[in-house]
Amino acid sequence: MADALHTLSAAELGRRLAAGSLTSRALCAALIARYDAVNDKVGAFTHLDRADVLAQADASDARRRAGQGRGPLEGIPVAIKDNIAVQGQPLTCSSKMLASLVSPYDSHVAERLRAAGAILYGRLNMDEFAMGSSTENSALRKTYNPWDLARIPGGSSGGSAAALAAGLVPLSLGSDTGGSIRQPASHCGVVGLKPTYGLISRFGLVAFASSLDQIGPMARSVEDCELLLAALASADARDMTCFGPDERALTSAGEAKKLRIGIPKGFLGKGVAPEVAAAVEAAVAFYRAQGCTVSEVELPSADLAVPTYYVVATAEASSNLGRYDGVRYGHRSAQAGTPVEMMTNSRSEGFGAEVKRRILLGTFVLSAGYADAYYNRALRARAKIRAEYLAALSQVDVLLTPTVPTPAFKVGEKASDPLQLYLEDIFTIPANLAGLPALSVPCGKSGHLPVGFHLVGAPLSEAKLLAAGRLFEAAHGFAHQQAAL
Amino acid sequence: MAEGFDIDHLAKLARLSLTAEEKALYSSQLNSILGHFQALAQADLPATIDDARVVRESALRSDVPGPSLGAAAVTRIAPASRDGQISVPRVVDDEA
Repeated sequence: MADALHTLSAAELGRRLAAGSLTSRALCAALIARYDAVNDKVGAFTHLDRADVLAQADASDARRRAGQGRGPLEGIPVAIKDNIAVQGQPLTCSSKMLASLVSPYDSHVAERLRAAGAILYGRLNMDEFAMGSSTENSALRKTYNPWDLARIPGGSSGGSAAALAAGLVPLSLGSDTGGSIRQPASHCGVVGLKPTYGLISRFGLVAFASSLDQIGPMARSVEDCELLLAALASADARDMTCFGPDERALTSAGEAKKLRIGIPKGFLGKGVAPEVAAAVEAAVAFYRAQGCTVSEVELPSADLAVPTYYVVATAEASSNLGRYDGVRYGHRSAQAGTPVEMMTNSRSEGFGAEVKRRILLGTFVLSAGYADAYYNRALRARAKIRAEYLAALSQVDVLLTPTVPTPAFKVGEKASDPLQLYLEDIFTIPANLAGLPALSVPCGKSGHLPVGFHLVGAPLSEAKLLAAGRLFEAAHGFAHQQAAL
Repeated sequence: MAEGFDIDHLAKLARLSLTAEEKALYSSQLNSILGHFQALAQADLPATIDDARVVRESALRSDVPGPSLGAAAVTRIAPASRDGQISVPRVVDDEA
């Protein structure tokens, strides 16, 4: 039986743990064996402290024996993207800048997972500082798509998605600034949710673009994703943008078969690969057959989303990454005569190419003489995009599109053209700009490569998105899928 | 819109030291990206951003000390420290 544990859902593992037919130690030992067998092929993890994992598992088993189990995640491993702080574990953001940093504190989500009895299981590879869509920007290692090891897993939470698809862990955490949970989820055939901005505390998430960043759950099924979301979402006074206790009630899921689904006009056209369009159209047909109403909606400013995002995100990044100056933590250059030389040399040695590119771009759009033409116009475009999305979502319950226009591309294929890579995010970016919840659900294959569809809802409509995802998942064979390795 | 784009000035503002190759590469890539941003210049946009407040105005917490990491934890992760303090290159010149 131990061989099959890596294929099971978190919900099923929870049932076995509760029934006493499985211990957390046996589960973690099986997953460590799986890690030893396949992580070098996939490259999802950058770090795993086996002794710490087994000690956490033993503590969980002891709690359960004493009748002090903490709920449905008790004893279940959750792997964590390397930009989310866990006390005593590396916090590298897959950057040379933070290569030797060990976090001195827990993020809010790490505290929540500990309180839920989950096992904080290893560190997952990512694009450096979450900047990228392929995980090729990691300074630590390459991550490959488990469905085709010559292809990228997506990014920036590429390790989080690949770990699930490779059966390395049942649950993972990602972060999403412009699609970084949903795009790799789609490319790896797993489920990823970017919650409403403010639902999950960002305390302990290394900042990239603070008005866009959200932590979110990733899993091999919608049910598991929901299980993890429930553990993460709670008020936290340390993040002033996090909803307070009285502001976070989710809209009720309602009847999934009565959902009103909006299809944004033109979104299945230009740039969408035919197999992706076909898989998404089949999903639309499924919902219609279930009794959902499907209508076309207008989002006239959709073409502004990518430029708006790359102005706002890089502006915020250039400010947020100003903190890496070689003084308090992170890399300090050995060539440091004066304080300014220390800062300049530390940053130049510590940051990779994409991070430098975005810092330069963000510095430009905020600089004197250009801020009005770029940053301030982007804020106004953001307001327009948000207003159009909210107007559309007053007519329908969810908007349905592909998650990504094309399936996973080959490693290196887009490495020399940053603009092409930025266009990967065309369907996912608006949810971040507008602060809306969005879910990617596997819905088919293009050849051997997974394809996902994308649902966007009104603020706090997570239950609706997840109910819609569950309805689809129950009727199709894409939940719990894993690549053969 | 990208006239006046000066990679040397930007690198200085961003505290980055770039090689000649990096300057050429980033200039070309940023120009291409900024070209894509032209759509923003031509768009009909609202005059204000009041309804774009994705980031909510929450009450600030009261200004009282709370739990913090402490000097030992902070200096443990610092690149260089001495006597419980972070050390940096000399900032003030003795001769001044």
